[in-house]
Amino acid sequence: MSSQALLYIIVIPMTWLAIRWFRTARTRQTILLLTSYLLYASWGLSFLGLLVISSIMNYFFGRLLRARQSASRLWLGILSNLMLLGAFKYVPELQPLLSHTQLAPAIAHVVLPIGISFWTFQALSYLFDTFGGGELEPSLLEFLLYMTFWPTVLSGPICRLSSLLPQFRSTENSSLKDAARGIDRICVGLFMVSLGEILANGLHLNDGLDHAFQISPSNFSGADVWCLAFGYGFELFFNFAGYSHIVIGSARIFGFELAENFAAPYLSSTPSEFWTRWHMSLSFWIRDYLFLPLAMVNRSKLWRNGALVISMLIFGLWHRGTVLLALWGTYHGVLLVLHRQWQELKRHLRWNFRGHVASLISWFATIVSICLGWIFFRSDGLAQALSLLRSLAELSTYSTVTLPHSLYRLIVVVAFGYLATMGIGRLISGRFQNVRIPLEVRFVLYSIAIYLGILHSAQTQGFAYFQF
Amino acid sequence: MKPMLIALRSILCLAIMVAVLEICARLDDTLSYGAPFWGAYNDESLYTTDAIGKWGKPNARYERWQLNSLGYRGPELRTGTIRIVCFGASETFGLYEAPDEEYPRQLERDLNRLANGPHFQVVNAAYAGETLTAAIRHVPRVVSQVYPSYALIYPSLAEYISIATRSSRPIPSNSAATWADWVGRLRIVSRLHNLLKRALPRAVQTKLQELQIKRDSANIPVIERVPQENVERFREDLTALIGALRNYEVEPVLVTHATAFGPNLSPGDRPLLTAWRKFYPMLKEDGFIDMEHRMNDVIRETAVREGVLLIDAADEIPPRPEYFADFVHFTTAGAGVMAAKLADGLRPIVFFRLQRETSVTSADRSPTSKGGASDVQPAVGNR
Repeated sequence: MSSQALLYIIVIPMTWLAIRWFRTARTRQTILLLTSYLLYASWGLSFLGLLVISSIMNYFFGRLLRARQSASRLWLGILSNLMLLGAFKYVPELQPLLSHTQLAPAIAHVVLPIGISFWTFQALSYLFDTFGGGELEPSLLEFLLYMTFWPTVLSGPICRLSSLLPQFRSTENSSLKDAARGIDRICVGLFMVSLGEILANGLHLNDGLDHAFQISPSNFSGADVWCLAFGYGFELFFNFAGYSHIVIGSARIFGFELAENFAAPYLSSTPSEFWTRWHMSLSFWIRDYLFLPLAMVNRSKLWRNGALVISMLIFGLWHRGTVLLALWGTYHGVLLVLHRQWQELKRHLRWNFRGHVASLISWFATIVSICLGWIFFRSDGLAQALSLLRSLAELSTYSTVTLPHSLYRLIVVVAFGYLATMGIGRLISGRFQNVRIPLEVRFVLYSIAIYLGILHSAQTQGFAYFQF
Repeated sequence: MKPMLIALRSILCLAIMVAVLEICARLDDTLSYGAPFWGAYNDESLYTTDAIGKWGKPNARYERWQLNSLGYRGPELRTGTIRIVCFGASETFGLYEAPDEEYPRQLERDLNRLANGPHFQVVNAAYAGETLTAAIRHVPRVVSQVYPSYALIYPSLAEYISIATRSSRPIPSNSAATWADWVGRLRIVSRLHNLLKRALPRAVQTKLQELQIKRDSANIPVIERVPQENVERFREDLTALIGALRNYEVEPVLVTHATAFGPNLSPGDRPLLTAWRKFYPMLKEDGFIDMEHRMNDVIRETAVREGVLLIDAADEIPPRPEYFADFVHFTTAGAGVMAAKLADGLRPIVFFRLQRETSVTSADRSPTSKGGASDVQPAVGNR
């Protein structure tokens, strides 16, 4: 646990109490904004300065757009945001190319402000919505709060002003039901984060995926690479989805309902479905503000497919400006195009694959292709990714296993445990909705979640998406 | 609901929480480290005590610290290697380094890399809190088990702060366990303590340490600097250890004590000094720096007087935060720098011996050789 986490634990209950004390929306917004600034400043005072500058800049771009909806004003806003994002996020990636220039020392000192990708995209969505005629008229205080809202500012979910503004303006107190639901979500999140941490570090020291990725990949067999790809897919899912649960739960305690970010993505039976269930706030952002406007430019099939690939390429680059993430995004773009073509072919030939077997095959093909993509996402460099893919392609390597058997067992247990839990959950959903869990049993579950998520995971390096 | 019922239910929930957290901590220890579910589990699990004193328990394990079948931290002994044994305390045993990254392990790797083969083995015979007098008592057993050719002595100087004032230390009570003792036995307490240690800002931690020092030093005499008689006692013990090793034909090598403090104290050093003083409240902060200077001078003088190789780690290891996890204990990177300095210092003598033994072994193999391989056995660990 970091100093920041301790600060959150101390400050958030105080803010919760303060908000219940004051009744006017404006006072509540001010308290929330001050809390958000305090918490964000704990990550770096200069980061806060940048966030405030970006917030004020975007508020005035919004006002300009409301005064006159011109494309040039919109582009000015977009470019300003992209320049800010680029200066901190993408220019440092060019350091190897600029190492012999006078810029090199300055670039070496650039530190990525935490959450910049998330709050920049929130600001852009506000500009797009305002340009599109959305009737959003936030006050400066409301807009500052929208940009800095403490649950979401670090790693999303990327919110829309249209969903948050009415909640910021509400003067209703959060109910005990909200608090209970929020605590439940936080505990589920802590549990998931701890599962991710167990996959990363293993049950024993140097027994997990993090250590495995440090081993020379040339020794890996094809089976090892599949193990790493699936294992990392689940590790990332538990880490990020767990974090999202914690964020959504924290906001819920205050009575705010945030958009969901994950919806059992590994149960998807097509790549398109996967992207409606994985990092939903970003994928919907890309769909609404990038893919759809691009696809509208030209109705040709080729252009639509091209727009899909471009959108996914930008999706990849949103994470970081590296070749590997560009390849990861492009891979998913191509996967979506292939899926689209396959559907068209099925329609054209009037093939009708339905039933459990077809669903199972479809699900399996999807999860395999998604996990294959994680090789690009996780690899430490292009050489490692290519080496892993080479091992995957060489059938002769499949006869041996280099990774410890305990890691295979761990990944199988966690993955199947999760899938089985989700499957059973779907089967019995509805039957136990009215069952009330006694408070004592809840405390047992909360305690397990606190142990796993806070005390056991205290040594972890934090949330994976903090780096983006 | 009646207020009494609410209170009772709240207490029950709290008790449930503590019980579940404790069960989780114990299960975690059992699954992760093979620790016993019941009973105590702490760093004392690594040691046993016999007539000679405290000693590493064979094959013991506590969290990431693993002892071999002889009770030394590190792997089992290999045959056919030149062995270097390390005497010292927690700095040598290793506290903050990643597993297998404490400086004796890194030194072994460095030497073998330089020798292009696994010719050397470095045996870590240190344990946390080991004094020179304890090391002297351990020499016969270490020699009989390890057959070392060289012994690195990296003494923990702070052990000599309390020698004169030992009598004034509070004597542990033998009375029945108090409520605080029972709470202290809960494994969840140490976890929460570690968690807070990591999470609390440095300034708050320093303030808490100052309060603890104030409380602990309330009833004991506080000294400005380590008395000269303690320094002389250190000199005597160091000389005695050198003598004991030489009696067994083990060549001692002295290493001065490195700390996280440079020649001039910076404001950032004060919290570190306070953290150090927490363990020795009887000595004022500046006394630690003075102690390091005076006792390192004793090590240098002893090396000259006894004709022992000296490696001046105190002078050569930069006092950078990336090398020290606290006031004296190394990080993995710091242990790496220490190992590199030691390898550099040891190189002339150990490689000379390696060459000599390689040539003797080659000569033994030649048809004209009259000597047997046993000639070199006492110097080369083979058991």
